[in-house]
Amino acid sequence: MNASADIATARPARDLPVAPLLFAGSLALYVATALATGQHAYLTGEGFVGLTQRMVGLGIVALGQTLVILVGSIDLSVANLISVSAVLASFIMKGEPAMIAPAVLAVLALSAAVGLVNGLIIARLDVNPLIATLGVGLILQGLLSASFSNFAGSVPAAFQAFAYGRIGPLPWSVLLLFVLAFAIWLLLARTRFGAHLYATGGNRDGARLAGIRTERVMIGAHVLCSLMAGLTGLYLASRLRAGAPWVGRDGVYDLESIAVVVIGGTLLAGGRGGVWGTLAGVFLFATLDAVFNMTGIDAFPKQVLRGAIVILAVAVYAVRSKGHVA
Amino acid sequence: MSADTPVLSMRGIGKSFTGVRALDDVSLDCHSGEVHAICGENGAGKSTLMKVLGGVYRPDEGEILLNGEPIAFRHPVEARRAGISIIHQELSLLPERSVADNIFLGLEPTRGGLLDRAAMQEGARKLLERVGARVQPDALVKSLSIAEQQLVEIAKALALDAQIIVMDEPTAALDERDAGRLLELVGTLRREGAAILYISHRMAELKAIADRITVLKDGRLVATHPAAALTPTTIVRLMVGRDLADFFPPPSDPARLGPVVLSVQGAGNVILSDIALDLHAGEIVGIAGLEGSGKGALGRALFGDEPFTRGRMVVDGQDGLIASPRAAITTGIGFLSDDRNKEGIAPQQSLRDNVLMTLRAFARRLLPPGSGAMARADADRQLTEVDVRAAGFAQEIRELSGGNQQKVVIGRWLARDPKLLIFLEPTRGIDVAAKAAIYQLMRDLADRGRAILMISSDLPEIIGVSDRILVMHEGRIVGELKRGASEEDVMHLALGTGTTEAAA
Repeated sequence: MNASADIATARPARDLPVAPLLFAGSLALYVATALATGQHAYLTGEGFVGLTQRMVGLGIVALGQTLVILVGSIDLSVANLISVSAVLASFIMKGEPAMIAPAVLAVLALSAAVGLVNGLIIARLDVNPLIATLGVGLILQGLLSASFSNFAGSVPAAFQAFAYGRIGPLPWSVLLLFVLAFAIWLLLARTRFGAHLYATGGNRDGARLAGIRTERVMIGAHVLCSLMAGLTGLYLASRLRAGAPWVGRDGVYDLESIAVVVIGGTLLAGGRGGVWGTLAGVFLFATLDAVFNMTGIDAFPKQVLRGAIVILAVAVYAVRSKGHVA
Repeated sequence: MSADTPVLSMRGIGKSFTGVRALDDVSLDCHSGEVHAICGENGAGKSTLMKVLGGVYRPDEGEILLNGEPIAFRHPVEARRAGISIIHQELSLLPERSVADNIFLGLEPTRGGLLDRAAMQEGARKLLERVGARVQPDALVKSLSIAEQQLVEIAKALALDAQIIVMDEPTAALDERDAGRLLELVGTLRREGAAILYISHRMAELKAIADRITVLKDGRLVATHPAAALTPTTIVRLMVGRDLADFFPPPSDPARLGPVVLSVQGAGNVILSDIALDLHAGEIVGIAGLEGSGKGALGRALFGDEPFTRGRMVVDGQDGLIASPRAAITTGIGFLSDDRNKEGIAPQQSLRDNVLMTLRAFARRLLPPGSGAMARADADRQLTEVDVRAAGFAQEIRELSGGNQQKVVIGRWLARDPKLLIFLEPTRGIDVAAKAAIYQLMRDLADRGRAILMISSDLPEIIGVSDRILVMHEGRIVGELKRGASEEDVMHLALGTGTTEAAA
């Protein structure tokens, strides 16, 4: 990036290289725990592949969440959209390989439509994004619960390859996550849309008066975010072999995706941050999962620890960005 | 204590922030019934000094004496209890609460453990009357104008029965008429025996009300003199450490005036009516008017932010009313908002990101690193051209002074090179040196054939910079004045007491 003018991707919290630090710290924690508990299987190639596989579900939706937070919005409807997508996919497929393509297209179309609605409500009607997406999420969950109460349909074996298949040692899904991350990084750092996204998140009125069509930017970010949630739904349907109306809620994908974005150093107010920090945040959460598995401690302390990490991260950024007063 | 013991005395105050010396051995005092003005460029240490006095910061060195007794505040509440009331530049009122609630915030009268609403209403009414604010105690603060809010803020200070009142640029957001009223009130408070520390950039005000003037520069006290012994020129020289003989750049040469860039006829919208004006390349036209005269609305209408709904508008040969800021920019108009924080800068982004914003708005879809809207060299050239002073161009813009932020926002437009630039309150809240730089920048742009519309509440600026002055009143342009008009000429028209075409 040295040749180009800085676009606000770089170093959100004052010269703190957030992404490498988080990656290194998480990795050290993982290795240390595996060594301490003597579970050397975690340190093999297969062990590390398992670790990255834990990142996929939360990772994809968090990439989308990064976009809307950067533009100065937020999306609380992702968890419910994930449930809807998973159920819709397996309901349309009903175990038929021929129905994979229609099901995927239907899920993506629905997701894009949900993103468009979110974006329009926020950009055109000027409704607070928390309220707008909370409302849309409740509507989605309501419609879903009215129609389904349990696993619906099933996913054909060919589609399960999405979650379980590999090329060489690398699972498809992990590859997809990193390809998506790279694509979004390109979008942010190398396209006009990305520059507009940062400008709009930095100051919406200012960006509008500078000639940026901020409504379009806001809507575009929400469509992309919802598409990511739809992809996550497809991934979960593939991994669980069927979609159930509670998969999104159970994963707490709404709050956890926001948490990892913030841990990754993206400003909750928008305008500064990027995908690599988010990915590092997802890696940290995946590491915590693995560490708790290794030590055999039950799930509740894990939640407590996650909560503490989110608060700690925000506090660290807040203190660091206070800067000098003069 | 003896009769001439100052109410307040600050001695040898020093304060550092992570190695930056914000205040160094500053001593000043203020007597009962005295207005002691403090001036200095932004960053000179005025606000830090007031925060030390108000208990926000604790000084590293020195002591504060109140009626001769040394005191040390650990918290702003302690300063308030000691009778020090600070009216900050940024208003600190709660917009969703009533005027009375705000005035008695933290000092609510109670009866039997419950809020005594009747006492609050009555007390608020008396205080509002005293400050000359015609607002109801039960009105919500958000429904008031900025000027009225400022008066409520002062009423709030008076509710404390403060012996020391600090005012930090209280007239910055006020027009001449409201500023005049506020100055009268300051006079009243002085007669009633308050000790007043008054921070301001406006020379006319300092001459009008200050008994003594202290000038700060780079955290040090430069001088304290009786106001009568100082002229505006000497004050400015003390503030910036050099003479600003050419504070206002010379006017344009009428012979070199270019073709008409903007022509408006019979235009109007909800606020504006019968707007007609012609703007030539190479001239700076000032728009004056009181708050609510529609002068800001005129700028926003021309830029398509709150568009004209009727009439005719021709910009650079292109006919048609402009419907959006983006359309305005495409037609060749640039715009500087009067609210830099809300509508100008992206505070947490770099100077480069900020200066490239307009260029990026019209960039090609793909931005290869290092070229076009991503070109660091272009950004740096624009920033250098407007002479931004910063540690580095990768610095976050919020760390800069208001003047430098304003230069960045102006720099944004240079890449587009618009034919017409609309500047709303271009120097609001900006120190003297940066003001002069911005005036020069405007004049340079005009000399290069740009037309500039400068909309301002600052009368000396209107008179000193404009080649022509249009004055607005109640949504109309009520008169035009040539360069050389006096403040009185402008005020006559602005108040609606002058004749149309006065002095034409």
